[in-house]
Amino acid sequence: MKIALAGNPNSGKTTLFNAITGKVEYVGNWPGVTVEKKEGSVKSSLNPGKRKMTIVDLPGAYSMSPYTSEESITRDFVRKEGPDVIINIVDATNLGRSLFFTSQLMELGIPVVIALNKSDMIQKKGIIIDTELLSELLGCPVVRTVSTKSMNNGLDFLIEAVQSVFDTKKKQQPLHIKGMKTDASKEEQEQIDKTRFSVVNEIVDRVERRRMDSSEHTFQDTIDRVVANKWLGIPIFALVIWVVFSISQSWLGPWLADLFVGWIDAFYELVESVLGENVHPVLSSLLLDGIIGGVGAVVGFLPLIMVLFFMLALLEDSGYMARVALVMDPYFKKIGLSGKSIIPMIVSTGCAIPGVMATRTIKNERQRRTTALLAPFMPCGAKLPIIALFAGVFFRDNVWVGTSMYFLAIFVIILGGLIIRKITGDTSKSYFIMELPEYRIPSIKRATISMLNRAKAFIVKAGTIILISNAVVHMLQTFNWRFQVVGTSAPETSILASIATPMAWLFIPLGFGIWQFAAAAVTGFIAKENVVGTLAVTFAITNFIDVEEFALISGGSDVMTVFGIGAVAALSYLVFNLFTPPCFAAIGSMNSEMESPKWLWGAIAFQLGMGYVLSFFVYQVGTLVTTGSVGSGFLGGLIAVLAMIGYVVYLMKKGSSKRMIPVAQEVA
Amino acid sequence: MNISNCKLNTEYLITDVNAKETDMKDFLFTLGCYPGERVVLISRLPSMYVVDIKNSRYSIDDDLARAICLIEPMEADKEDIMERVVV
Repeated sequence: MKIALAGNPNSGKTTLFNAITGKVEYVGNWPGVTVEKKEGSVKSSLNPGKRKMTIVDLPGAYSMSPYTSEESITRDFVRKEGPDVIINIVDATNLGRSLFFTSQLMELGIPVVIALNKSDMIQKKGIIIDTELLSELLGCPVVRTVSTKSMNNGLDFLIEAVQSVFDTKKKQQPLHIKGMKTDASKEEQEQIDKTRFSVVNEIVDRVERRRMDSSEHTFQDTIDRVVANKWLGIPIFALVIWVVFSISQSWLGPWLADLFVGWIDAFYELVESVLGENVHPVLSSLLLDGIIGGVGAVVGFLPLIMVLFFMLALLEDSGYMARVALVMDPYFKKIGLSGKSIIPMIVSTGCAIPGVMATRTIKNERQRRTTALLAPFMPCGAKLPIIALFAGVFFRDNVWVGTSMYFLAIFVIILGGLIIRKITGDTSKSYFIMELPEYRIPSIKRATISMLNRAKAFIVKAGTIILISNAVVHMLQTFNWRFQVVGTSAPETSILASIATPMAWLFIPLGFGIWQFAAAAVTGFIAKENVVGTLAVTFAITNFIDVEEFALISGGSDVMTVFGIGAVAALSYLVFNLFTPPCFAAIGSMNSEMESPKWLWGAIAFQLGMGYVLSFFVYQVGTLVTTGSVGSGFLGGLIAVLAMIGYVVYLMKKGSSKRMIPVAQEVA
Repeated sequence: MNISNCKLNTEYLITDVNAKETDMKDFLFTLGCYPGERVVLISRLPSMYVVDIKNSRYSIDDDLARAICLIEPMEADKEDIMERVVV
């Protein structure tokens, strides 16, 4: 039995899906969190008969006529894939609008069961709904549910109702709508839909009693006026972001990481003592330095990432995200985007893959593609270890290093938006409309579940992709082209060094023309955590977090000396890794959202160029300020940078003239 | 009169939706924002308006606010242009 979950945005479909299947799909308190369909099976406690029941979670939709692309996924699924039963989730606080979609779903000839969700909210709001009468008038079962509760949530009754409509095979009668026909013209359709709304209004009038009119000014509206205030809006947003990142990066995160690294070090020593002297040195080095050292260096930063995800989940649960969109809308319009573009960017601070996918809720194609290009500039969770490593080693954990990277990202996004608008020559504006969900106290439980789920994914990634990458890097570094073990005296003869050295030439004007750094930047495209892992393996450093302790154990030579670059070059390397293209998986998701090879390759080239140019300026200007003269490779780098900037300016000129032509024609 | 220049916390009836994009007009329809329906302006924010339509809050920008034309319910009675009877 295939069951589809359909309903209005932010009615709690994914929360219900998670409660029914026991899965942990991404939820949040704003409309448009789910942008693709997800499948799961009903968990056994709700399915005593052990029947095969697949449940499909669909993006929210207001009607069968989609406005944005994620809404069409829902329409296409219920129309073409023929689910056996549809669970229509209706927000109980909002019957008047939700039942419009319900009436359309009932015309598909598929049995419908209504989950009257958020039933706990109606009592608080003084709304009374006659469920039995509603069920009678609609001609389908109606079950009260509270998907956020774990007990007495009505889900058992819901699944029972689904099974019974499936078994009885009794055809449900759709609502009678006067003038209804399948081949209606546009005008006729409008008239039908008006009639549809009036039929729905009549039903709502009969089943619902409201003690308080929803159009009265509430405390929630007062909060809106504060967070979206002309003067306070942006400072509040900046403060929220600062709190999220400072707690994860400089407060709670590092403290937990210190604790964690102690355990990894102990594990390293344990394995070392177990191996003893009898194991071949190449093998023991692969295991200790390549695998445990490399993976350990990455896993050591796990607490930072967990704290970040916990904080982000709280933020996403609060209802504030939709307000950020409306606060940012006037500013984003100035760079050719809309307020909706901010949500993919905030989501990208966790991971760029869902961030890029979140662009589906943007209707305008150019805005959607531009947002998919710019969102990965926000440093994601996997880039957090890189930031923490360089801030810790070169800047004594200064908070400003991490925070400034987020502000630099915002600057890059603004600049990028302006450039791309010029290149495309498209200055069209679009309307902004967004449903405002109610604020709620974020659930610690949900945030914990989300955090643990992401931590699990991170550990799986560390144990697979990152482990393999580190092992490969270690092997390539151990052997030369004749498969002889490279001695410690000549590490530059290894396979890895000989591949990475030519690339390192390109990085001389950026201050880090050293083959280890080049190799780490490249493995970073597989997964950004690899940057830290590869640096750990190639420089044979295992402890990146407790830098002081490292200096003690390695006899005074600290990580900074081992790296052989200065603070300015380190900052340049950090900038390069943050602002070049994201990992391959995120590029894949850019590809599917942009739906255009020209845009994809343009985006990758733009991101590469942006990273290179920014690093060049950071290193050369920084060196000029600190030492009084420009850094190495200045002239060559300058030529390359000027060529890149020149080409972009040329494209911008060309784009602007493209825009001029239609205007000129209009005048003529 | 439209949403950008109407009074706060007062119920109005929609007389016309002049959105330039027809898609937007259709979309607003599915939210219950079409001639004859009720709307209340809740807050004026910078370049943004919070409105209540069918028991939901939406934020809309000034271009869209100007596109939604309104009339006071009393006036609607007089002119007798509404299909829906206002109670």
